[in-house]
Amino acid sequence: MKRTILAVLAAIAAATAPVVAGEAWAQGKYVHANNSGYDNLDPHAIYDVGRAASRINFYDGLYRWVDNPPKMIPWLAESYTSSPDGKTWTFNLRKGVKFHDGSEFTADDVIYSIERMLAMKKGAASLFLPIIAPGSTKAPDKHTVVFTLNEPSAIFLATVPEILMVNSKLVKKNEKDGDWGAAWLAKNVASSGSYKLKRYDPAIGFVGERFKEHFAGWGPKAFDEIEFRTVLETNTRVQGMIKGDFQGTDGYLPYDQILRLKESKNVQILEAESMRVFYFSMHNGRSLMNDVHFRKALAYAFDYDGFIKDILKGAVARNPSPNPNNLWGAPKDLKGFTYDLEKAKAELAQVKEPLRPITIGTLAGFSETEQAAALLQNGAKKIGIEIKIESAPWPVVQSRMQDRDKNYDMVPLWKSTYYVDPNNWVGELYGSRYIGTRNSSYTKDAELDKWIDEALATNDQEKRRVLYEKAATKVTEQAMGIFVYNTKWYGPYAANVAGIRFSPIGSGQDMRWAYYK
Amino acid sequence: MRRLEMILSRLAWFVPTLAGLVIIVFLISNVIPTDPVRVLLGENATSTQIEAMRIKLGYDQPVWVQLARHFRDIVSGNLGISIYSQRPISEDLISRLPATLELTLTAITLSVALGIPLGVISALKRNSLLDHVLRVISVSGLALAAFWLALLLQFFFSMKLGVAPLNSRIDGFGPTPVTGFMIIDSLLDWNMESLHSALSHIALPALTLALPAAATIVRFTRAGVLDVINSNYVLYQRAMGLPPGVIVWKYVLRNAMISTVTQIGLIFGVLVTNAVIVETVFDWPGMGTFAVQSILQSDHKAIIGFTIWIGALIVIVNLLVDITHSFIDPRGSR
Repeated sequence: MKRTILAVLAAIAAATAPVVAGEAWAQGKYVHANNSGYDNLDPHAIYDVGRAASRINFYDGLYRWVDNPPKMIPWLAESYTSSPDGKTWTFNLRKGVKFHDGSEFTADDVIYSIERMLAMKKGAASLFLPIIAPGSTKAPDKHTVVFTLNEPSAIFLATVPEILMVNSKLVKKNEKDGDWGAAWLAKNVASSGSYKLKRYDPAIGFVGERFKEHFAGWGPKAFDEIEFRTVLETNTRVQGMIKGDFQGTDGYLPYDQILRLKESKNVQILEAESMRVFYFSMHNGRSLMNDVHFRKALAYAFDYDGFIKDILKGAVARNPSPNPNNLWGAPKDLKGFTYDLEKAKAELAQVKEPLRPITIGTLAGFSETEQAAALLQNGAKKIGIEIKIESAPWPVVQSRMQDRDKNYDMVPLWKSTYYVDPNNWVGELYGSRYIGTRNSSYTKDAELDKWIDEALATNDQEKRRVLYEKAATKVTEQAMGIFVYNTKWYGPYAANVAGIRFSPIGSGQDMRWAYYK
Repeated sequence: MRRLEMILSRLAWFVPTLAGLVIIVFLISNVIPTDPVRVLLGENATSTQIEAMRIKLGYDQPVWVQLARHFRDIVSGNLGISIYSQRPISEDLISRLPATLELTLTAITLSVALGIPLGVISALKRNSLLDHVLRVISVSGLALAAFWLALLLQFFFSMKLGVAPLNSRIDGFGPTPVTGFMIIDSLLDWNMESLHSALSHIALPALTLALPAAATIVRFTRAGVLDVINSNYVLYQRAMGLPPGVIVWKYVLRNAMISTVTQIGLIFGVLVTNAVIVETVFDWPGMGTFAVQSILQSDHKAIIGFTIWIGALIVIVNLLVDITHSFIDPRGSR
């Protein structure tokens, strides 16, 4: 049975994509202050949230995530079909799409792009390496591409937007010593995307010029130029917004800075519930931490209300499970843990192993992680658990988390949206197939694995929902992590900016929709 | 002749000094519990990817082998590839060097222009109200933390008065780079708008760096002038009826400057260190922000590359100071 989604997706595309092709109104320049550097423009080498703007604004994928709740709209592909076994995915490409140099986008570019990702093994490649073998993607004709997966993968479609298309002929011309054009593409752009690279300095950022011939056309208003600058210091970004030097900055600023921005008449704050869950990752594969009663004692010792209402001033929403509340697959009636020291003591009384000090690794420079750790330390102390807090930069924490022996006992951090599917959260964080990569809890639970693997192998949405809800419920009830809140996105933009379409993927930095009022 | 010997001797120490620096930074980088390969590939990388990349980059080798290879690369002018930007580190540093040099040279010029006259005035008006005020200011200047002063200047001049830009080197991306120095390139381009923008952007970061440096120069100049102003040759010049201005600025200052010039060399090192913080606050795209980003990303090779360059820069400046010193006080170089 083949599943064709043509009509529905085409209708969504028609409703959401801009309509006016060719010339659009001149709309000046938009300047964005970014909290991390644009050291590299290669869309297949980078995949972090901080550098999303260069990927989204310069490059196109077969499908594209927009809006909140996120929906996938056809982009370089017009439609797809999948085989009943979920292993063969055929995409029908849009005709007449031009790259920035005027050459035509074809199926050869799709094949080159996926092969390049698999060969370079960087960026988003890890999503595809386990399921796509090099050389397995075929082009029956100029406008059709067939992906043949090693195994059924229900998340494949959700990850397709991460395969960003490069102009294969242009990149091939600039390949050197079999590097797939990596050196050249680090500072150049070869794409069909909404903006053309006008100026780039790794130390400063980039300027993009509107690609008027973009296949999706343009709305009645659009920015002629977008400039994304690196501004590492939070205070400088905030003051620059207030002063009017910047028209936008990152949407996950500390809440005290948001309050400061709200007072400025130059700034508007757009609010949306995101899909970025704040939780304590717990090393379930280590002695004491592998005792469910000990984990529950810790989960009862965290003051959720105090953290959310007093420290974060109610700027976030309580999220009791690993899956974001606003996504399918989040258990609807799950209460989660509350701050209850009596219950914590009762759980601790059932722990047979002798207690030992617990180490929490916090992210230096991310005060919320330090505050959350201190709050848990305080609660735990009241029931007789000693907690030591070690702060380190994210790369240090990340390295340790990926090493079973060096990992901390607990780490408070956020799980961001890389693709919109519950597998991004409960699957990757607790499925043993992801141990060594995204599963730093070192959980190995046969029942969980069965549910997660089943959910990956079927395209039946209702069945998948049930499986992910069961998995999220078990993870929560067994306190495999301490789940605290789902982040709200507070997007600071100049008061005269309109048309921002926030999506948890891209964090409101997809500038083709935005304009000045 | 002694001057030539001195220069050759300093140059001979150049190599072991830098080699020692490389070894120390390399070992410190390896003590930090970070796996640069995991950082490079990110949290989504599989163990197979990580191991393949570890072998490719040579991180699977023993530390001493990595160090030996690093020395070999440095000698051949190759500082390696940044694991974060994935570009040659030398390329990144070369592109950022002019920004840092422009900032530190402007700051040092400002601090000398402020510090020496104020130091002389302070000495000549010894124990007067003016002297006390200058001493309080100079002690305060030394005590100020660079990041705090930077925020203060931003708040007052940029946010409150609106007379100076908040951050960056220039509006937009600036003139076509020739030297990489925005002020010089604006002049070469004969673009007055760009020149004005470059000068107004450099004002606050340069002032942030210059004020503590000027405080040091005031103190050393004051002490130097006080040291020589009562000497016999000055008494003789007074007796000869030379105008006080000529005595002070031509004869006293030359002898008083010996220790100040040495201090200026040391101050350069301090300025480069403070530039790391000041560049970050002012979003100044120089080697300081490169260092911060490299540290945050645990980019070991980039950190070592930055340290070598800064080390070399400081050694060269100290050599220049020694040469200048030998001209001001030729006794030791004859």
